[in-house]
Amino acid sequence: MTIPISSNLHCDVLIIGAGGAGLRCAAEILEHMPGATVVALTKVPHPQKSHTATAQGGLSAVDSRDPLDATIFHIFDTWKGSDCTADQHVVKKICESAWEQIVWLENRGMHFSRDHQGRLSKRTFGGHTRNFGESSAYRAVFEADRTGKGIMDTAWGESLKRGIIFVNHCLAVELLVRDRQCVGCIVFKQKTGEFVRVLAKATVVASGGSGQVFKVTTNCRQNTGDGLALALEAGLPLLDPEAVQFHPTGIVGAGILASETLRSVGGILRNRDLEPFMARYAPKMRELAPRDLVARAIESEIREGRGIRNPDHDTDHVWIDLRHLPDEVHAKQIPEVSSFFKRYVNLDPQKDLCPVRPSNHYHMGGIATNEFGEVVDTARQPIAGLYAVGECAAASFHGFNRLGTNSLLELITMGKIAAERALDHIRREPAALKDTAQSRFVQRFSRYREAAGKDSLGRIRDTLRNLMTEQLSVFRTEAGITAAIESLRELKERADRTALSSRSWAMNQELVERWELDNLLSVSLVICEGALQRRESRGAHYRDDYPDRKDEFNHHTVATMPRFGEVKLERREVDMSIFTAGGAHHEKFAVIERKY
Amino acid sequence: MTSTFDITLNVHRFDPDSKKTWVQTYTLQAGRIQRFVDLLRRINSEIDPTLAWGSSCEHGQCGTCSMKINGKPLLACELLVENAVAYFGTTTFEVEPLGVAQVVRDLVVDTEKAYERVDRAKPFIIDPRPAADGQEHAINPAELEHYVSATRCINCFCCASACISSHRNFLGPNAMLAAIVRVMDPREGEKGQRLKCLYSDEGVYRCHSSRACSFVCPKEIDVAHFIALAKEGRMTPQEK
Repeated sequence: MTIPISSNLHCDVLIIGAGGAGLRCAAEILEHMPGATVVALTKVPHPQKSHTATAQGGLSAVDSRDPLDATIFHIFDTWKGSDCTADQHVVKKICESAWEQIVWLENRGMHFSRDHQGRLSKRTFGGHTRNFGESSAYRAVFEADRTGKGIMDTAWGESLKRGIIFVNHCLAVELLVRDRQCVGCIVFKQKTGEFVRVLAKATVVASGGSGQVFKVTTNCRQNTGDGLALALEAGLPLLDPEAVQFHPTGIVGAGILASETLRSVGGILRNRDLEPFMARYAPKMRELAPRDLVARAIESEIREGRGIRNPDHDTDHVWIDLRHLPDEVHAKQIPEVSSFFKRYVNLDPQKDLCPVRPSNHYHMGGIATNEFGEVVDTARQPIAGLYAVGECAAASFHGFNRLGTNSLLELITMGKIAAERALDHIRREPAALKDTAQSRFVQRFSRYREAAGKDSLGRIRDTLRNLMTEQLSVFRTEAGITAAIESLRELKERADRTALSSRSWAMNQELVERWELDNLLSVSLVICEGALQRRESRGAHYRDDYPDRKDEFNHHTVATMPRFGEVKLERREVDMSIFTAGGAHHEKFAVIERKY
Repeated sequence: MTSTFDITLNVHRFDPDSKKTWVQTYTLQAGRIQRFVDLLRRINSEIDPTLAWGSSCEHGQCGTCSMKINGKPLLACELLVENAVAYFGTTTFEVEPLGVAQVVRDLVVDTEKAYERVDRAKPFIIDPRPAADGQEHAINPAELEHYVSATRCINCFCCASACISSHRNFLGPNAMLAAIVRVMDPREGEKGQRLKCLYSDEGVYRCHSSRACSFVCPKEIDVAHFIALAKEGRMTPQEK
């Protein structure tokens, strides 16, 4: 079967994914090279619908004028939070340019919340401290509870102002990479069902996370790990795919976050028998124990049959009990979260028990890059003209556990850093682009068109997401992961046999979901293989059968999978350049215990 | 707690290949706290994978799943079955795409086209005033308070759909907000172009003051209030 390419599009820079990271990158390029042709692709109907817009909390950055805080503390907190698996040179680079990024956003119209003097308000977040853990740091600037939206709107507005070309509602289906050079990608336009070849001097993958791998997730419907699958198919490695973060309390079934505040104001977790079970897991700290411990306690209750099943969302959960809290606490301290329960599950937290379950939140792992956002191969050689930024990338700033507010900081900073490299590259490179034969997308879409079996792709996807939530979320065991790998292979075969219901390719949602399903399957499998070989617990990766962190695993996982099932795992050392440089406070940057 | 409803959805469909439009009826048993996005997803999985509809964040932050349910523009991710039954007093629902742009397929409209109106209102600072010390501007929180609610707009186009003027020459309530916010924002140096847009023949005086925009806004922004400020020329703090 042949699949025609309807047209070619030439540009200077191609951005795959028009969220915060992609558009911060685009804006930087257009500011410094007015007139450059920058094309941004997005799967959603419009950039403003990207997942960045849903981030609530804030953006950590140390203001050099702040007498109480210092960048070295932020670097330390990020290192410690990562369970000593972030790369220190990356952490240093991002933390040091953080405040400059805040000023960039503010000067371009982001509506930050203000203190009474009109300066940017700051708040504290878990894991952010002064003096190496001594006390909480007020380090996060924010825009009320919609910081991500502020970033998104600003990056979108700036790109629009400077003449970016948006191609909305489309898929990047094949990266054109040959001889360590990327020359663009093949794009599928959903609205018309056509394929277009986009040739670019520089290509930036900023396609977001992979949360839809899990059934309960805070991630948007489009976060199906497309960029990760795209890189894998092109033979490029993912870094630390097994590093996935879960928030202990997502609201069942939307999965949206019910903030930690609920527990800090006195909310009690209860199981089916209404027992306040945290007393058994953390007799002293109870509900206020660290996130990962609470998440594991909840999953244990569910696993041992003491959860409650919500029939409407077909999901097990536990309760959070807020009924005993004074009216004033409900009204003043938790009004937003209370309104979430009302809006999405129609429960009144003052009168009703509310259903929660750990919710997938963030993928620390991603397309392996260096500290400049340049995509690297397994030999750590950069692929010329190819960059990856934002949640789809791993430089690695977060290691095995991300601190709150550090994701937004990373996406704008790495967006800018990658833009600088891309600008250098465009200015240096001759204009001629080697055309690269493309074939993977033809094979893939032919398979979709030719499959003739009867099944429900929706049900296959649901089975996959359930499986990953049951076996690969906050608890992982050898047996569970092995079983999951086996099931994934079966699901892949099932999917490959299943026919699409319609022959039309224009705005064919089932076709898009079929393509996404392949991406979900690939990313799931790589997560499983990474988790299986890491016989230890580190950050968000918790192995029930190996509950401690082990020095022999003080390295990154580098995973490739050029074809489904053919996973190859290698190691990459963790950069500890701050420690080895031996300067002031270097001893704080040894492999230390992650205890709070 | 476990009660279910027998729900009928009459979905207005369009096939771009044959250019056919028709109403298709789906019936399903729905749990009380399932949302309309959950129902549409179930239709895809259990009944008809060809039905096209849009969503993204599915918790009211992005405005992708806006559609008309029994004539009211709203976000399908925020509409729970039992609330819908109580609000509309029926278990049968007409489900239509928003009439703010051409339909691409079924419930998916050409959002890009709808956004052209917002783009015309320039949703960015045209000419930023430099900050005093090369750092951030100081903005008095009281001043910010005058317009911060308007910055919460997610461009779901529910207001534009409900507005009785927006289908012709009016840029629409949400596009007006984009311009009004930046007249009120002290960092914008280019007020002239803004006022020209607001007071042009596609600007605020097209508004019939029905307040439908405020009534339907899922973010509960009093859109009509901001349009009224613009009509009265009261957008700067000095003139308040």
